[in-house]
Amino acid sequence: MTDKEDSRTIYCNQLGMLIEFSYCSTMNGGLPCRNIVGCWKQRTDIVAFLKKNFTGEELRKVFSGLPKSRIERIIELIKS
Amino acid sequence: MKRRIDLNEKDIPKQWYNIQADMPNPIPPPLNPATGQPITPDMLTPIFTMNIIEQEVSTERWIDIPEEVIEKYLIWRPTPLYRAHFLEKFLGTPARIYFKNEGVSPPGSHKPNTAIAQAYFNKVSGIKRLATETGAGQWGSALSFACNQFGIECKVYMVRISYNQKPYRRVLMETWGAKCVPSPSPDTNAGRKFFEQNPEHPGSLGIAISEAVEDGATSKDSKYSIGSVVNHVLLHQTVVGLEAYKQLDMIGEYPDILIGCAGGGSNFAGLFLPFARDKIHGKEMKIIACEPASCPTMTKGPYVYDFGDTAETTPLFAMHSLGHKFVPAPIHAGGLRYHGMSPILSRLLMDNLIEARAYGQLETFKAGITFARTEGFVPAPETNHAIACVIEEAKKSKEEGKEKVILMNWSGHGIIDLAAYDAYLSGKLEDYVLPDDEIQELIKDLGKFPKP
Repeated sequence: MTDKEDSRTIYCNQLGMLIEFSYCSTMNGGLPCRNIVGCWKQRTDIVAFLKKNFTGEELRKVFSGLPKSRIERIIELIKS
Repeated sequence: MKRRIDLNEKDIPKQWYNIQADMPNPIPPPLNPATGQPITPDMLTPIFTMNIIEQEVSTERWIDIPEEVIEKYLIWRPTPLYRAHFLEKFLGTPARIYFKNEGVSPPGSHKPNTAIAQAYFNKVSGIKRLATETGAGQWGSALSFACNQFGIECKVYMVRISYNQKPYRRVLMETWGAKCVPSPSPDTNAGRKFFEQNPEHPGSLGIAISEAVEDGATSKDSKYSIGSVVNHVLLHQTVVGLEAYKQLDMIGEYPDILIGCAGGGSNFAGLFLPFARDKIHGKEMKIIACEPASCPTMTKGPYVYDFGDTAETTPLFAMHSLGHKFVPAPIHAGGLRYHGMSPILSRLLMDNLIEARAYGQLETFKAGITFARTEGFVPAPETNHAIACVIEEAKKSKEEGKEKVILMNWSGHGIIDLAAYDAYLSGKLEDYVLPDDEIQELIKDLGKFPKP
């Protein structure tokens, strides 16, 4: 991704605001948001970007399993 | 022909409607993965007061709205119901389109319907302070307003990227006296580990939730407050549908189609639940939840008891998902979802009482612009999903030559979201269609790696 592409914007339905691609691709401790494919697949060649910039293990870490729901996260936090 | 249908103050609903009393199939309770047994209400006491937990699990059909809450609701309620004549004319549809304008509240959305209630129930339980998280600030500003009304403190953990780039809602929160901090913050254990690594960490909603829950559970005289998804939030939002029911009744109308946007599901549920009761008892109507095509929680995926992770350590909740055991490869449709829909909506969807549709980003902004250029009001970007569906149904009504009555929840205005409209209008949200086979190729490649 070039710097120009990195600053492309999208409306994030989770945050409720306009954000740049650079946030989507690094917000998870340097790894991409797990929604990056769904959100960007109609905007750019996101698959090529992921293949180029992350290892398979990193991508597996991001995308494996299901995201936790709000309730799941809260119950988990209470228990911890 | 009446353009605006108003209720008198004295006609504001005095009770919330609890769909759990009428659901054909009850919501499966959340389960403890260790025991398989339901999680008990007392497990929620660290973060919610008992009066709120009682509402969370109640199966009473009607729950009284306290006078003190009604008094605050009257600041902006009853909200007007509008007939969208100009949109109808623009579309040339025989459909009669009505929208319930929840954008007239002080924070500009439906959110204070539950924020006011939650602030009140915490106040009477002796709580002096509420903590919550917010993305771009819609929920945070609603809770700040509500806490201010009842004289309790409010601490909002706002995702740092929003805090830095979208200051107006933060200013709103501070105007109402709340303390708003960027997340990750040094104020909690959950935030500190990220903050110390990088003080400019952009944050995420997940980190902000962790901070707010920790704060609410561990700080003196404090609790946590949530703006969507859970049962008591949906209950409080039914004031929207109960008013709309009366307003339509005043002009002899009844909806054939109810439409709302659904992220966590609360504004949509608030509108349709009082009507869904009629549907359960045999009345015919179509109820449509609209969600973003990029994260289609409801339009894809079976209803299953599912673990939140592959290690099977988190509690089980009945939600829409593909289920992690069905995920053959890391990047799979199920792994792209927020997995965050309300359990009540999930159950009603499975019982075919509601249906779901997904809309792409450009289509929704186009719909929002159409609405703004006909009806005048600028919708919140989330609301645009519902408007896209309204337009679709109105066009179908035209094709079929049927005079359908369409009711939509206009959940909030977009005056603080104009940057998103600017991006759309200046072509910055252009599409590039990527063939699905390229995604499949990536899935195939990743499948070679061992599972964690």
